[in-house]
Amino acid sequence: MGFRLSSKDYVEYIKLAAAKIHENGDYVTALDAATGDGDHWSNINIGFEKLIEAIPVMETMSLFDEFKKIGMIMMSVIGGSSGVLYGSAYMGAAKVLKDKDVIENQDMCNIMEAMLNAIMQRGNAKPGFKTMIDCLYPAVECYKDCITKALSENETVVLVKKAAVEGAQSTAAMEAIRGRACYQANKGVGHLDPGAITMAYQIETLMDYIATKL
Amino acid sequence: MKKIINHPNSVVTELLIGMAKAHPDLKYTDELEVISRKVKSKKVGIVSGGGSGHEPAHAGYVGKGMLDAAVAGNVFSSPSPDRIIKGIEEANSGEGVLLVIKNYSGDIMNFEMAKDMAEMDDIRVESVVVKDDVAVPDSTYSTGRRGIAGTVFVHKIAGAKAEAGANLDQVKAAAEKAIANIRSMGMAMNSCTLPAVGKPGFVLGENEIEIGMGIHGEPGVERTSVKTAAETADILLSKVLADYDYSGSEVAVLINGLGATPLMELYILNNEVEKILTEKNIKVYKTFVGNYMTSLDMSGCSVTLMKLDEELKELLDAPCDTPALKVL
Repeated sequence: MGFRLSSKDYVEYIKLAAAKIHENGDYVTALDAATGDGDHWSNINIGFEKLIEAIPVMETMSLFDEFKKIGMIMMSVIGGSSGVLYGSAYMGAAKVLKDKDVIENQDMCNIMEAMLNAIMQRGNAKPGFKTMIDCLYPAVECYKDCITKALSENETVVLVKKAAVEGAQSTAAMEAIRGRACYQANKGVGHLDPGAITMAYQIETLMDYIATKL
Repeated sequence: MKKIINHPNSVVTELLIGMAKAHPDLKYTDELEVISRKVKSKKVGIVSGGGSGHEPAHAGYVGKGMLDAAVAGNVFSSPSPDRIIKGIEEANSGEGVLLVIKNYSGDIMNFEMAKDMAEMDDIRVESVVVKDDVAVPDSTYSTGRRGIAGTVFVHKIAGAKAEAGANLDQVKAAAEKAIANIRSMGMAMNSCTLPAVGKPGFVLGENEIEIGMGIHGEPGVERTSVKTAAETADILLSKVLADYDYSGSEVAVLINGLGATPLMELYILNNEVEKILTEKNIKVYKTFVGNYMTSLDMSGCSVTLMKLDEELKELLDAPCDTPALKVL
């Protein structure tokens, strides 16, 4: 039997992700100050704080309503570019969860792919633009590959996590095509993209959490 | 940090409440940070907005002959779609709504998402994107040129067209004509301090200036030593004139202060700008000098030209009555 996550389980993941983001504040802010205006961490952190406040409501919801709620909170609380992108991602993912009571392996892959597509469409962006997509895209490709190869879920979560982290690290070498870093003379080359790093924190945490459910 | 504030987290709310108190024709919508006209009329609605910190933009341009609603984000950060939808609702009288967006990744995404959501509620929404800053190369691949002070001209033109009773397509066409004819170039002498950050984003040396800096402190094209007003006018106008052909035409001029530059210096700059334009056989039809699109407490300026035809002249001259721009 593989993992089966309920809306209550997803809330447990949100708590862990919030903690992971919270504890890396200084690091992410320093990354952002190098190429942006230094507010990415404080915005995304407030977003997760608001999600935590909404947990009593969310854990009683269907997965579909829970994901829509997360999307709305992230969109309005985080604001700026990250807010609308995470909002679009969760609303895109909600569609995958219509009429579902639990998230299983294939569903999780579909959720991440729906998030990726929503972010690429809303941001009019592709892999290689030095954004959060450069973390999410390789993670989704890896996940699909694992399913095609029928790898065990234990192996899958390790590989997907690795793909996300390596993807985020790969942004250091990239030239920025979107966002404030693209106005820098060197297009931010040599600096990690803070949005890709915070995306990696979330995927890492999610994969580690799933591993505890196997 | 020395600022007249209560708390960094409440600056946007408190500035908008203060503005509504000073200008009784304006309505403030709590939480969603929208300033709109108290009295609605049956016409195409014009909505703009963006990060705060650029006051009087955008709420200062709400009023007869310009915007119907302005939506404020946090300092230098785009407003979220739920706020923008509220702005669209306030501006909509059934004739459709035009969004005037400055060209930044965050603004584009949030306004487009709001547009999609408003259309689900059967409100017809169109949008135009202002990209007047010639310091950045134009590009269809990357985000490309930023929208800066020239946006105020777009508010004036679109607002006048809508007030004259034109339909949504006609208002959009007028706004696009204005955008096609507008170019701006700026320079900064000092960076600005975000209330939540508490210290300047970067520091320029005592005798250093930066040509082409963005209105959020984005890097410019060149750091150089302090220049005279005549040299500054020459540097900024050369970039503008090299980018678009203004020769032999009539133009509107906007000499904009970034927040901490005295009007004295802006008028001195205007004198030099006008000299160069006259020399180049470009006729100044109308001039605006003041703090129209600021960047908190940044010191510096931008120069904007809009090439005029008969329609644009008429729309520029049409009356408007807003807190930050009045044409009588």
